Amino acid sequence: MLTFRIAARNVFRQKRRTLLTVLTMMGGFTLASISIAFSDGSYANIISTFTRTQMGHIQIHGKGYLDRPTLYNTIDDYETVGAAIDSVAGVIAWSPRVYSAGLGSVGEKTTAVRIVGIDPEREETATRFDKKIISGKSFMPGATHRTILGKGLAIVLKAGPGDTLVVVSQGADGSIANDAYEIIGTAETGDEVGDQNTMYLSLTDAQDLLVLYGRAHEMVVIVDNLDDVLDLADQIQALPALQKYDVSPWQKFAASFYTAMQADRQGTWIMLGIIVLIVSVGVLNTVLMTVLERRREYGVLRAIGVRPGQVVRLVLYEVAAMDVVAVLFGAVVSLGVNYWLSRTGIDMAQAFTYGGMEFKTMYSEVNLQSFTIPAITVTAAALLVSVIPALKAARTAPAKAMRTH
Amino acid sequence: MKLYIKLAWRNIMRNKRRTIIAGLALGIGLASLIYTDALWIGLEDNMIASATSSFLGEGQINREGFRRTFEAELTINDLDSVMARLSREPEVEHFTERVLGLGMISSPANISSISMVGIDPATEPPLSQIDEALTEGKYLSGDNPRDLLIGRKLAELLEVELGDRVVLTVAEAHTGELSQEMFRVSGIFFFNVAEMDQSMAFVQLNQARKMLGIEGQAHQIAIDFTHRDIGRDRKNPFWARYSTDGNEAAGWVVLLPQLEGVFEMSQFSTLLLGIVLFAVVALVIINSLFMSLYERMFEFGVLRALGTRPLSMGRLIVLEAGALAVISIVLGALLCLAALLITDHYGIDYGGIEFAGVTFRDLLYPVVEPSQFIVYPVAVFLFTLLIALYPAAYAARLKPAEAMRRSF
Amino acid sequence: MIRIWTTTGLVVLLCVVAVRAQLKKSGDPLVDSLVNEVDRLYRSSSSYAEMEMEIVTPHWQRTLKMDAWSEGMDKTFIRINEPLKEKGVTTLRIDNEMWNYLPKTDKVMKIPPSMMMGSWMGSDFTNDDLVKESSFFDDYSYELIPSDSGDENLYYINCIPRPDLAVVWGNIVIGVEKDTRLPVWQRYYDEKKELMRVMTYSDVRTFDGRTLPATMAMVPTTKEGHKTVIRYTVAKFDIKLDKDIFSLRNLQSGQ
Repeated sequence: MLTFRIAARNVFRQKRRTLLTVLTMMGGFTLASISIAFSDGSYANIISTFTRTQMGHIQIHGKGYLDRPTLYNTIDDYETVGAAIDSVAGVIAWSPRVYSAGLGSVGEKTTAVRIVGIDPEREETATRFDKKIISGKSFMPGATHRTILGKGLAIVLKAGPGDTLVVVSQGADGSIANDAYEIIGTAETGDEVGDQNTMYLSLTDAQDLLVLYGRAHEMVVIVDNLDDVLDLADQIQALPALQKYDVSPWQKFAASFYTAMQADRQGTWIMLGIIVLIVSVGVLNTVLMTVLERRREYGVLRAIGVRPGQVVRLVLYEVAAMDVVAVLFGAVVSLGVNYWLSRTGIDMAQAFTYGGMEFKTMYSEVNLQSFTIPAITVTAAALLVSVIPALKAARTAPAKAMRTH
Repeated sequence: MKLYIKLAWRNIMRNKRRTIIAGLALGIGLASLIYTDALWIGLEDNMIASATSSFLGEGQINREGFRRTFEAELTINDLDSVMARLSREPEVEHFTERVLGLGMISSPANISSISMVGIDPATEPPLSQIDEALTEGKYLSGDNPRDLLIGRKLAELLEVELGDRVVLTVAEAHTGELSQEMFRVSGIFFFNVAEMDQSMAFVQLNQARKMLGIEGQAHQIAIDFTHRDIGRDRKNPFWARYSTDGNEAAGWVVLLPQLEGVFEMSQFSTLLLGIVLFAVVALVIINSLFMSLYERMFEFGVLRALGTRPLSMGRLIVLEAGALAVISIVLGALLCLAALLITDHYGIDYGGIEFAGVTFRDLLYPVVEPSQFIVYPVAVFLFTLLIALYPAAYAARLKPAEAMRRSF
Repeated sequence: MIRIWTTTGLVVLLCVVAVRAQLKKSGDPLVDSLVNEVDRLYRSSSSYAEMEMEIVTPHWQRTLKMDAWSEGMDKTFIRINEPLKEKGVTTLRIDNEMWNYLPKTDKVMKIPPSMMMGSWMGSDFTNDDLVKESSFFDDYSYELIPSDSGDENLYYINCIPRPDLAVVWGNIVIGVEKDTRLPVWQRYYDEKKELMRVMTYSDVRTFDGRTLPATMAMVPTTKEGHKTVIRYTVAKFDIKLDKDIFSLRNLQSGQ
C-alpha cells in the first residue's frame, strides 16, 4: 500500500517528464483506437450493406453450385428447407431465387441478360426489394408475365414500363426457353454492374420459362445479428433437411472480399507494432532517466532494508499509474472522435466498390476492441519495457549509490 | 560554429544507449515512411500493368457512348482513316482493332452470358496477354473461323474441353435478329481475373463481324504507347486528337476511374502515415532531448555561469538534435534498404485478390525512387531541428544558479 | 430449232447425271441402290408423318409430338404439337437454308451451316439428321466392307463424307439386313475413328404400303445416360402437298 502512495507521489515530482510520457502513451493509444474503430466500422458498414440489400448473410445452394453455377444444380424442396431454417433462432427471413442467362430484346434492341426469378413477398422482407423500385411498380401477387428491369438494362434497351421484353434462353429440359413479358418497372439495387443486365421475374414465371418447377438455385437467409453469422451457418448446415446442400456464410460466398479484408487487416498489426515501438522508446527513455536520477534514493531504500522486489514494484507502479491516466484520457478522446466519425463518416475521394456497389463514405464505429486492444498494447509495451530499468534500480548496491552525487 | 558541432556530436555520444535507442526509433519511423511509399508506388505500377497489359491496353478509341451500353451499332467512325493515322503516330507503339458483342454461349450442359470479342490474331498479341495465358490448346491463327478461346472457369461451367463444340448467340446490329454460330473450343486460358475467365470468348475478328452484321467495322482500338505516362495523362494532346468525328479516345486513367481513386488513397495514406510519424518523431526527440538535458543540468548551469550566451545554449541543443537526426537517418536508410531488398527478392503475393476493379496477377514489388531517399530524410532532419527548438528554448532560459542546484 | 435445243439439253443433262453417278458409284449397283434406299427410307417425292420423340438425359426427360412434311430431298417442314409449352415451334429447311420459329415470342432464328451438327431441340439428333440436308448418295462415297462381328445377315456399308462437307464424321458404317434391305443400325465415327454415336432401327411396320422401321434410337457413346428415340405413328407418301407449306410464311403461321 505504501508502495502505491510513494509511486503516486513520484509521478508528480517531474511534471513535465511525466506529462511527456503520458502524452506519448496517450498518443499511441488514441491512434490505435481511432484506426481500429475506423477500420472495423468501415468494413462492418460495407458488409452490412451488401449482405442486407443483395446477397444475404447466408446463402444456400446445391452442392458445388458456388464453384460451378449450372442450371441443373438446384434445391428441389426449398419450402421444406425454408421451414427448417425458420426454426433456427436468430433467422429473420429467407428468400428463394432462380438464375439463368439469355438474350433479351425490346423491339430491335437486343442484349445479353441475366434472368433472376424472385419470390416478391419473401424478397421484400429479406432484401427490401420493393424499396429498390425507381419507376413503375413491383410485382403483384398472382400476376404473371411481368418483368422488372435493372436500371442500366432499361437504358441499354431504351425501354420502360409498358414495353414488352422478349427473352430467349435454354430450358432445363433442353428446350428453347422463350417468352414475352410486360415491363412493369425498373429497379436500382445498388449493384451498378448487375443492374446493367439483370431482369427480374416472379419466381413462378422464371420456373416456367426455364422448366424448373418447384426448384430454386439459391436461398438467401437474413439473420438478426451479423456477429452470429458463422455460428448460425453451422447450425443450419447441421439440420437434416440441409444435408444435401451447401450452407455458405458471407465469408464464403464473398470470399474475394473477405480475403482482401483479411489482407488489409494485417496492416493493423503493423501499425500496432509501430505504436508499440514508439511507446516503448518513450517510456524507456523516461523510466531509465528517472531511475538513473534517483540512484541515490534507491541506494537509501535498499540500505534501510527495502527488498529488491519492492523496488521493482515501485518503479512499475509509477509506470502503471501514468499508463492508467494515459489510457483513460486517450479513451475519452478516442471515444469522442470515434463517435463523431461513426455519425459523420469520412468521404473518400474515390468510392470503394464491391459487388457492384459503391461506398463513398466510410463510417467508424464505437466498439469494445477499439478500446481493449490499444489499452493492452500500450500497457504491455510500457510495463515490459520498464522491467529493465526496474531491475537495474532493484540491484543498486546501496553504498555505491549513496556515494554518487 | 565548428566547435559547437563537435560538442554536439560528443554530447550525444556520451549516452550511447539512449542515442542508439532514440536513433533506432526515429530510424524505423523513417524507414516505414520510405518503405510504404515504395510499396504504394509498386502497387500502382502493378495495378496499372495488371489492368492494362492483360487486355485493356494503355488507351482505347471507341465510338462515343459505346462504353456505356456496348451496343453493337456503335462502331468506330472512319475506322480505316483512324487506323491509318495511328500507324503514322510516333507515340503509338502498337494498336489493334476489336469487335465486341454481348450474347450467350451455350453447351449441352449449361448456358451463360458472354462478351464475344473478335480479335485480329496478327496484331493482338502485343496488346493483351491472351496468348500467354493459354493453358491448353493454341492461340487463334486465322486459319479456322470456327476457333474459339474461353477461360478455364467458363469451360468448367459449360463442361466443355478442348475440341468440344459450343454455340454463340448474339444479336445483329440494327436489326436485333438473333445470330447463332457453332464454334469449337480451340484454346483455354487462365488469367486469374474473374471477369475474363468467366465471361469472355475470343474469336476471329471477321467471324464476329459476320455474326453482328458489321462488315469492315470495329468497336474498339486498343493502343499501347511508347511512353507509359501518356495513358495516365488526361491532358495529353493525343486524346483530343482522336476524340473527333463522334469517336472518343481515352487513356486507362479514364477507362478505369477506380484506379485513380486508389492512387489518391495511396497519397492520402502516405500523408497520414507521415503525420503520424512526425508526431512520433516529435515525441521521441523531445523525450530524448529533455532527458539528456536533465542529466546535464549541472553542466548547463556551469556553462551559463561561465558566460555562455542563451542563444549558444539553444544552438547546442538544436545541433545535438541534428546529430541525432543524422544518426537516425543513416540507421533508417539502412533498415529500409534491407527491408526493400528482402521484399524485392521475394515479392508480395496478392494474386487473385480484387481491389478497385483490378485483380492482382503478378507479385507486388516495391519501387525505389532516389527522391524517396532524399526528400523524406531531409524532411525528418528539418522537422527534428524544428522540434528541437522547444528544449533549446528551455536550455537557453536556464538560470545558472537554479540549474546547478537542481542537479544531484 | 427448238427441238434441237431441247434434245441437246436432254443429252447434256443425261451426261451430267451419268457423270455424277460415275463419281458416286462404288462400282457395285447393289450398294448404290442400298444406299439410295436408306436415304429415301422416310422420304419420297412428298411425305407426311406424325411422330413422337422421347429425349432422355441424366438431368431431364421430355417427349415431343410433331408433324413433319417433306418434298423430295430438298424441303422439310416440322411442327411441334406437344408439349403445350413447345406447341407451334417449327423448323423449316429449303435446300441448304434452315430456320426455327418460336411462336411465343414470334422469333425466327436462322440456323447457319455451322449449326447443322448442333443438337435439334436438345435431342441427340442433329439438325442435319432431322432435315436431311446431306444424303449418303450425293455427299458420301461408300463401299461394302466385311462385317467385323462375323454377322452374315448384314451388309456393312462404309460411307466417307466428301472433303468439303460440313459434318464432323470421319466415316459412318451402315448395317443393312440382307433379306429385308432395311437398315438395322448406323455407327458414326469421328475423324479419329472413334465411335461417337449409334443409331438403331427397330419395330418394322408397314406405313402406307411401305415397310420400314418405325423406331429409331440414337445413343451417343461419349455421354452417359443420353438417348433419343423417334417413333413414327403415321406416315404417308406421295401425297398431294400444299405448295405453301415450305415457306417462311407457313413457318410463322403458328397454326
